[in-house]
Amino acid sequence: MKCVILAAGEGKRVHPLTFTRPKVMIPIGNKPILEWNLLNAIDAGIREFVFVVSYKSEMVRSYFGNGEKWNVKIEYVNQGEPLGTAHAISVVEKFVKDFIVLCGDTIFGKKDFKNIVKTKNSMGLAKVENAKEYGIIELDKENVVKIYEKMDEPFTNIINGGIYHFNSKIFNYIRKTKKSPRGEFEITDSINMMIKDTNLKGIFLKNWRDVVYPWHLLDANEEILKKIDKKIDGTVEKNTTIKGKVIIGKNSTIMNGSYIEGPVVIGENCKIGPNCYIRPYTSIGNDCHVGNACEVKNSIILNNSNVPHQNYVGDSIIGENCNLGAGSKVANLRLDKKNISVVLNGNKLNTNRRKLGVIMGDNVQTGINSMMNVGTIIGNNCFLGLGAIAKDEIKPYAMIL
Amino acid sequence: MCGIIGYTGFRDANKVLIDSLKRLEYRGYDSAGISVIHKKQQVYKQVGEIKALEKNLPDFKGTVGVGHTRWATHGGVTKENAHPHLSSNKKIAVVHNGIIENFSKLRENLIKKGYKFASQTDSEVIAHLIEDNYKDNLEKAVYSALKKVEGYYAIVVTSTDEPDKIVGARKDSPLVIGVGDNENFLGSDITAFLKYTKRVVFLNDGELCAVTNKDIKIFDENNKAVKRDEQVIKWDYKDAEKSGFSHFMLKEIFDQPDTVHHVIRGRVSEIDRAIQFNENVENLLSNGLDSIHIVACGTSYYAGLVGKYMLEKLTGIPVIVELASEYRYFGTRDENSLIIGVTQSGETLDTLAALKEAKNSGCRILVITNVIGSTATRLSDGYILTQSGPEIGVAATKTFTSQILVLCLIALKIGMLKNKIGADEVYKYILQLKELPRKVRQALDQSDEILKIANQLKNTQSVFFIGRGINYPLSLEGALKLKEISYLHAEGFAAGELKHGPFALLTKITPVVAIVTKDFTYEKLLANIGEVKARGPKVIAIADENDTEIEKHADFVIRFPSNSDIMSCIPIIVILQLLAYHVANLRGCSIDKPRNLAKSVTVE
Repeated sequence: MKCVILAAGEGKRVHPLTFTRPKVMIPIGNKPILEWNLLNAIDAGIREFVFVVSYKSEMVRSYFGNGEKWNVKIEYVNQGEPLGTAHAISVVEKFVKDFIVLCGDTIFGKKDFKNIVKTKNSMGLAKVENAKEYGIIELDKENVVKIYEKMDEPFTNIINGGIYHFNSKIFNYIRKTKKSPRGEFEITDSINMMIKDTNLKGIFLKNWRDVVYPWHLLDANEEILKKIDKKIDGTVEKNTTIKGKVIIGKNSTIMNGSYIEGPVVIGENCKIGPNCYIRPYTSIGNDCHVGNACEVKNSIILNNSNVPHQNYVGDSIIGENCNLGAGSKVANLRLDKKNISVVLNGNKLNTNRRKLGVIMGDNVQTGINSMMNVGTIIGNNCFLGLGAIAKDEIKPYAMIL
Repeated sequence: MCGIIGYTGFRDANKVLIDSLKRLEYRGYDSAGISVIHKKQQVYKQVGEIKALEKNLPDFKGTVGVGHTRWATHGGVTKENAHPHLSSNKKIAVVHNGIIENFSKLRENLIKKGYKFASQTDSEVIAHLIEDNYKDNLEKAVYSALKKVEGYYAIVVTSTDEPDKIVGARKDSPLVIGVGDNENFLGSDITAFLKYTKRVVFLNDGELCAVTNKDIKIFDENNKAVKRDEQVIKWDYKDAEKSGFSHFMLKEIFDQPDTVHHVIRGRVSEIDRAIQFNENVENLLSNGLDSIHIVACGTSYYAGLVGKYMLEKLTGIPVIVELASEYRYFGTRDENSLIIGVTQSGETLDTLAALKEAKNSGCRILVITNVIGSTATRLSDGYILTQSGPEIGVAATKTFTSQILVLCLIALKIGMLKNKIGADEVYKYILQLKELPRKVRQALDQSDEILKIANQLKNTQSVFFIGRGINYPLSLEGALKLKEISYLHAEGFAAGELKHGPFALLTKITPVVAIVTKDFTYEKLLANIGEVKARGPKVIAIADENDTEIEKHADFVIRFPSNSDIMSCIPIIVILQLLAYHVANLRGCSIDKPRNLAKSVTVE
């Protein structure tokens, strides 16, 4: 059976990280979201994949190639233009018969893959606390009766999980699908038509994690790090403390005086320490440096970035190729302890988090003693001058002097 | 210029072709067509823009096809002349961008063999020629057919005998392979298929390729297989129409090595040492001319002024250059005078009115334009196309250099007909013409240095441009470009005229751009620069690359590649265009659509 993974979207709601990469290529626990899905699907026995790509497709292709590295076959189909999920699925018509298809930016567990593969004509359902942001599912026993668009006051907390098991009949319904009010061809409209002729079984997902906004990556990171096992391939110098589950990649060195509390993942070729404090739920990519008198907590640091001298980074995401100047620090808690709001793409949003630091795009450099307020969003390729204060949303290529 | 596209893959070719043609529409839009293979060649063509084609597009099945958007050069704008063209057996479809120079000979031979022609285009011969050479393999047939063709081309060919294959070939016209997954593309440029893939393989001149949805084979001009790696394009399809340039104007400035080549190609023969035009034009030029009037507006008028120097130097005939809006009411009309109307669009109302007036008085009319079938071509006794392709930036760039070159070719032709210039001299000029595209490229290479110098101009109020001889109209054009797009006050002066008035306006904060060529007025011009410097302003010299003196006199120097006394004006213009562009860009102006200006002025 083929597994179609929709990986074409830009993910505007995950700016600034998606200015420079497609959403599915955002790493969590040092692996792109798409790779987690690939690995889980492989564990469920799937060997043939079709990736539907478009936005910065060359990044997906150069990372995954033809799948050789995973011993599977990966084919690519370019969606061409972003016209919605039904359109994205329609482009694979000539390549599939009985198939499963999933949104590549949501992470599904191994068991979930297995259950969906087992059950023909099915779709994954999830239960969430607040269903406002999702498609709402009406069930009749175990069959899906209707999928509703986002509702202000949802009548249930059962939502569309974004994974389906279809056969080629779905393409007949896709062809009949009309543009939705928001101007896209939605697969949920096609499914609603199909349900009238065929039963579609709802399957509750056990491990389901979607990422809508960048701060959700911190939650996903936490969840993935909870499951890791200790594995130390790098060099650990004397007088260091490593507690709990910690992964340290090849050629990485943990220097004297470092204190690491797992779960923590550190990639390859990193220089950690001396004298630094890395706290739980932190993922550090490859070729990174965390230097003297730095503290990193519950954060994601992507490849080739440095937190080198006297820095504090908490509840934050630091993009690739970033460098913090000496003494650059991040605030992650309001003094009044209220929930933190951010401005993303010009819209003010409540993150429902009490703690959130900075979300920094790729190639950002900060000057010495610059400060970043809670919930600051910094676009790619920005400069913060020495002693500069960054807050709210900063557009890519901006210079704050 | 035309746009061509070929597709082989899994999507409905119909949609892909239309989509791609829309991206290529900047290359031409007088008619368009597609052909999709499903058992047979299903052809659909329309006169007009791609929209007209899309409107009633039949629901063709099939996933392999070719498409074309036309900018007519041979044959009028009709449905028959629109591409794709089919072979006589209706199996082979061809789209072509370029010109087949020996097409009438080929056509005669093919007609003798019984092939039936459906259009007046040069392109159609390729379709029949491929059929004539077809045995069992399309790329072999295309290779043999193209061996017989003289001219320049980019083509894409399909055949119902090999229904999953598209074959492409190029010589002096562009063609790029787009590498997809289970699909591949051929297009005049990357923008055609950028929506579907960013991976490309560039074809070199003289190469041929055979492409299916799974593989790509490339052959060199000796039909030997070539291996070439794909490249990944960095820009997105959003900035695609401008081919990655930030403005159409900049793209069009950078088009000039090609557009210059297009003017020369087919008209200048190095072997025969001759300049050739079509019959109507040659008749106009060979009849006893007493004088020449050039009638034009705006930038075309300045092209006329440059042309005046060339014509008078090479033919000895007095030339009067008139603004069309003035000539229309006040010009003299002499039956023995040739009127040359210069208009990019062929629709400039002032120029048309002036030409009509002249025609009514019995004058003969020659038109230089970029648009075949335009009103100007219809009321002329003969016309010469600049073949620059559509120009979208309102400020004329590539069409200006092409107009000047056409005037230069006219001057050479008349000079030869009147025996004013000897064969050796003609040959010297022909070699210089052939060199020009390379010289233009050299000028373009300096864009970054010109940007640095543009910084000197961006905050001034007023700029002077000075030059002598042919460089005087260049100064006028340099000033016009700056005015148009950067909204700075700028004026061009004959260098010797400064002391007769303009000096009164010259202050320390008025930069002066001096065009300095090493002719017999070189010393005079250095003296003029001295006069300017004495009053304090900064001087930016545009000087010959071999000029070793100029640094002593000017504050900033931009070098142009030396070529000859006449032809050097082309690289100099390119430098002036880049200077104006960079100043306007630094000032944050709306470069492609300057305030209050329109591309084609069809009102009085």
